[in-house]
Amino acid sequence: MSLTTTLSPQQATFPGTPAPAARAVGVTKQYGAGDATVAALDDVSVDLDRGRFTAIMGPSGSGKSTLLHMLAGLDRPTSGEVYLGDTEITSLRDKRLTMLRRDRIGFIFQSFNLLPTMTAAENIVLPMRIAGRRPDPDWVAAIVQTVGLDGRLGHRPSQLSGGQQQRVAAARALASRPEIVFADEPTGALDSRSGTELLRFLRTAVDELAQTVVMVTHDPTAAAYADRVLFLADGHIVDEMHDPSAEAVLDYMKNLGA
Amino acid sequence: MLTATFRSMVAHKLRLLLTTASIALGVALLAGTLILTNTMGIAFDMLFGKIGSGTDTVVRAEAPFTQTEGVGTNRGPIAASVLDQVKKVDGVRAAEGTVQGYALLTDTHGKAITTNGGAPTNGYSMPSDEELRGDVELLSGHAPTNAHEVAIDATSAEDHDIALGSSIKVLFQGPTQEFTVVGTIGYGDGIKDLGGTTSAYFDPATAQKVLGTPGAFDQINVSAADGVSQAELADRISDVIPAGTEAVTGKAVAEENADATKQNFSIVGILFGIFAGIALFVGSFIIWNTFTMTVTQRSREIALLRAIGARRRQVMSSLLLEALGLGLFASAVGFGLGIGVAKGLKWLMDAVGFALPFTSLQIEASQVWISLAVGVGVTVVAALVPARRATKVLPIEALRESTPGAEKSSKLRAVIGLAVIAAGAGALWASLYADGGMKLFGLGLGAAMVGVIIALPVAVRPLAAAIATPLRLRGLPGELAKQNAARNPRRTSATAAALMIGLTLVVSMGVFASSLKASFGDVLSDRVDADLYVVTSSAQAPGYSPSVLAAVKGVDGVDEVSANGWGQARFDGQDSGFSSIDPGNADEVLALNVEKGSLADLGKDDVMVARSAAKEHGWKVGDTVTAEFAESGKHQLHVAAVYEGKGWISDDFVVSRAAQEALAGPQLVSNAFVTIDAGADRAEVQDAIAAALADHPDAKVLDRAGFEKEASGFIDQLLTFMTVMLALAVMIALLGIVNTLALSVFERTRELGLLRAVGMTRSQVRAMVRWESAVISLIGAVSGAALGIGIGLAMSQILKDEGIKSISIPVLQIAVYVAVAAAAGVLAAVGPARSAAKVDVLKAVVTD
Repeated sequence: MSLTTTLSPQQATFPGTPAPAARAVGVTKQYGAGDATVAALDDVSVDLDRGRFTAIMGPSGSGKSTLLHMLAGLDRPTSGEVYLGDTEITSLRDKRLTMLRRDRIGFIFQSFNLLPTMTAAENIVLPMRIAGRRPDPDWVAAIVQTVGLDGRLGHRPSQLSGGQQQRVAAARALASRPEIVFADEPTGALDSRSGTELLRFLRTAVDELAQTVVMVTHDPTAAAYADRVLFLADGHIVDEMHDPSAEAVLDYMKNLGA
Repeated sequence: MLTATFRSMVAHKLRLLLTTASIALGVALLAGTLILTNTMGIAFDMLFGKIGSGTDTVVRAEAPFTQTEGVGTNRGPIAASVLDQVKKVDGVRAAEGTVQGYALLTDTHGKAITTNGGAPTNGYSMPSDEELRGDVELLSGHAPTNAHEVAIDATSAEDHDIALGSSIKVLFQGPTQEFTVVGTIGYGDGIKDLGGTTSAYFDPATAQKVLGTPGAFDQINVSAADGVSQAELADRISDVIPAGTEAVTGKAVAEENADATKQNFSIVGILFGIFAGIALFVGSFIIWNTFTMTVTQRSREIALLRAIGARRRQVMSSLLLEALGLGLFASAVGFGLGIGVAKGLKWLMDAVGFALPFTSLQIEASQVWISLAVGVGVTVVAALVPARRATKVLPIEALRESTPGAEKSSKLRAVIGLAVIAAGAGALWASLYADGGMKLFGLGLGAAMVGVIIALPVAVRPLAAAIATPLRLRGLPGELAKQNAARNPRRTSATAAALMIGLTLVVSMGVFASSLKASFGDVLSDRVDADLYVVTSSAQAPGYSPSVLAAVKGVDGVDEVSANGWGQARFDGQDSGFSSIDPGNADEVLALNVEKGSLADLGKDDVMVARSAAKEHGWKVGDTVTAEFAESGKHQLHVAAVYEGKGWISDDFVVSRAAQEALAGPQLVSNAFVTIDAGADRAEVQDAIAAALADHPDAKVLDRAGFEKEASGFIDQLLTFMTVMLALAVMIALLGIVNTLALSVFERTRELGLLRAVGMTRSQVRAMVRWESAVISLIGAVSGAALGIGIGLAMSQILKDEGIKSISIPVLQIAVYVAVAAAAGVLAAVGPARSAAKVDVLKAVVTD
């Protein structure tokens, strides 16, 4: 548990270490025009390490979700660059970007993660089906078992609890072996027990499968499952914390809010 | 609240436009068909009603029976002496004998002036009394006064550049004569023809000679003196006229004509009725969908109004007021468009050669009221349910986004639907064996359709699965398309129903027409052995003058000419059609297969009966059959022969043409078969006959191929008409599909966003929506085609006695129809697919 100052991207990518899973370089996102311009992100640069669990925290309006959307290729910055591995994604056309999301990124949203007409099993392999690829059955079986969805695979989302639905979403996010999983408030709509189960699963994925996970959350307890927490305020990364505890994050957030 | 309603309407211009457009469209189609149907009805009415408008009492021969086909009743002539008796009756201001008959006008080049849609070409006697002329008025020139003068309807004169003073030929059942055109005739209110017919007017003496019988009239028209009522006059006249004649009021005659018109018109009326029904169904469905969408979109606005204290009733009445205003405005716009629709339909039918008797568009207040009432009514009702749903929702719930889940199909629906289908099928089956089966047939048909519509939602899922099997090849978008199409079975089936009804109509008629054509071809090749064929110059004309036959006979190289005619009479107490033939040579060109007796014995008092009729009544050669003719009353005919009753001639009763002339008056010839001398060149003889027919513009000569083509011409017209119907049905259905897809895309915004987020490309999204549309269309097209084939087969079966001997299913044609429907579905999806692909991923997946 250590509190350090913000790292510059130059410091993070020194030679000898593998390239980060994702990288933002001077990303700015503005909404509106003229006098009414509001900057949701202001010149943010950050590296997200491979095989680690990163949480992004900050008060409402700090730009944390916007940053996640930029990194995940769901939105385009006003200026700056975003890299996924070695690929600069802000200049990609829609089709390439869509395929990149499909093949190299996993998503868990706060709610509405699943197609209501498809069973849990079908939802899990959705990105691969979209790509027209055959999923690796052993891998999918392993994921399903880890998530604890045995016996529920034939159910449709309406027949599953909120926690089960989010676990299906998590299984889908991992099933295609993405380079990075982005989770946007994945526990936001869950009770604490279901939330804990989901976070444990994400932690396991990082520890045992060397998966890279980036999660936006406003919950210090959730952030405590991460290896590293980035703190955003007013569109800037103001600080970060490694191996955090819930109490430390909560304290810091109180300071940030004060 | 009124202000809020108005502001809200203006604030959503696009939505306003969409809703207005859908209401206006539904009303436009309704109004268009109403106007067109009414206009054609009036065209028929004019034909039979207008001429009699100045007549208070009609004296005519009593009809022995009412004929079952055609308009009006054939009656015998009335002796001229009766006119003198009538004129003496107290209260008669004026009385004149009238004559009406076949008169084909030619233009100044001798070319026949033919009419569209089988409208008659008539000649009339011109009454000299102004009032007895009714609406008939001279637009130019003067009334005909001698045997060389004629007045013609203004449309014929204008369209064919026939100036006053020019000389034209007029063809009758008797010899053709030449007349000088001395006047043009109109019918009041700027109307220049009687519902698409042509009319020639002669002075009464000439009319008697060329149209009827000298010394006799068809009827006597009487105008009452002031203060004498129609009924009173009719009573007084009844007392003096001889037995076998009757005096009826002008009003009664007008009513008879109106009834006859309605009967004659019923099939066209039914076709257009079905059409307006489809239009209305799709229209109200579109309105329903649109309101569901707009109310959902506005649920927050409504919640806000409720939260700040608006009562449910206030919100509700605000929404209904909006529907009312919108419905009224859009219906008015729709009615305006409807006039254009009527014009367009008329133009379309003319363009494909399926013209109907027609006059200028008749727009009446009742059409306006019906259109407005239906438009407003449907809008308000369609808005009611979504409005109720919106106001029932607690304000806070409106903030929560809900996804439309899959709806369960009910077993009850399946049971009821299948029961109704079974009842309909039972009625259809029974109609094949029952007397007067057509009514039962219609009933069964209606029931089967209703049953299918009820049960269709239950069948949507299996149908979608069956249809989508090939779509699996297209991967996930295809799979999702299938699921989405089956997701809301009631909505899908309602969308597909319009297409289904259209295809049912078109395919059933296609099977029927194809069977008819096949039957005709078979009969011609198996049962007819002629070298050349002399037919009417216009396919729809009732026949040509017998003088043509003499002209053809005189041509070098012609061996035999054998003519056919057709008529109606009552045999042994039952109304029946009969054929007339030339007994001397009919068996040289027709395989009649006489089984007993001999054709040569078929004299003026004889009849040949079909085997089936002979068997049924126990008639043998030498027996007597009572035959009653409208024109001449009862006669005892001897059975001279019994024939097979199948082939070119298939009527139960066949008489000689000489007998028909004697019993039913002068007759037109339907067609004649010509054989040529051994060694003569057929093409040369054909040319020679054609030359001989130069003075007979009502007839023409054809070879076998030409005859086959000509005779199947009406079938081709039927097919063209069907194609137009299909095009229109598909167009209407298209609107429904576009609307349903737009609603679905709107409802599934979040799903689409999710799919895009996890990697579905825009083109895949577009493909998904297109395939969904194709599946919906195919559900309609395939079920419609299946239903249509069944109905077409039943229709062919029931008309077996009317000449349908072979049954043929036009497989390729039906496949094309289905393919067109599917393609239309894909086309309909273009817009919704684009908006689906444009869904903002972030807005869709981010919960705020």
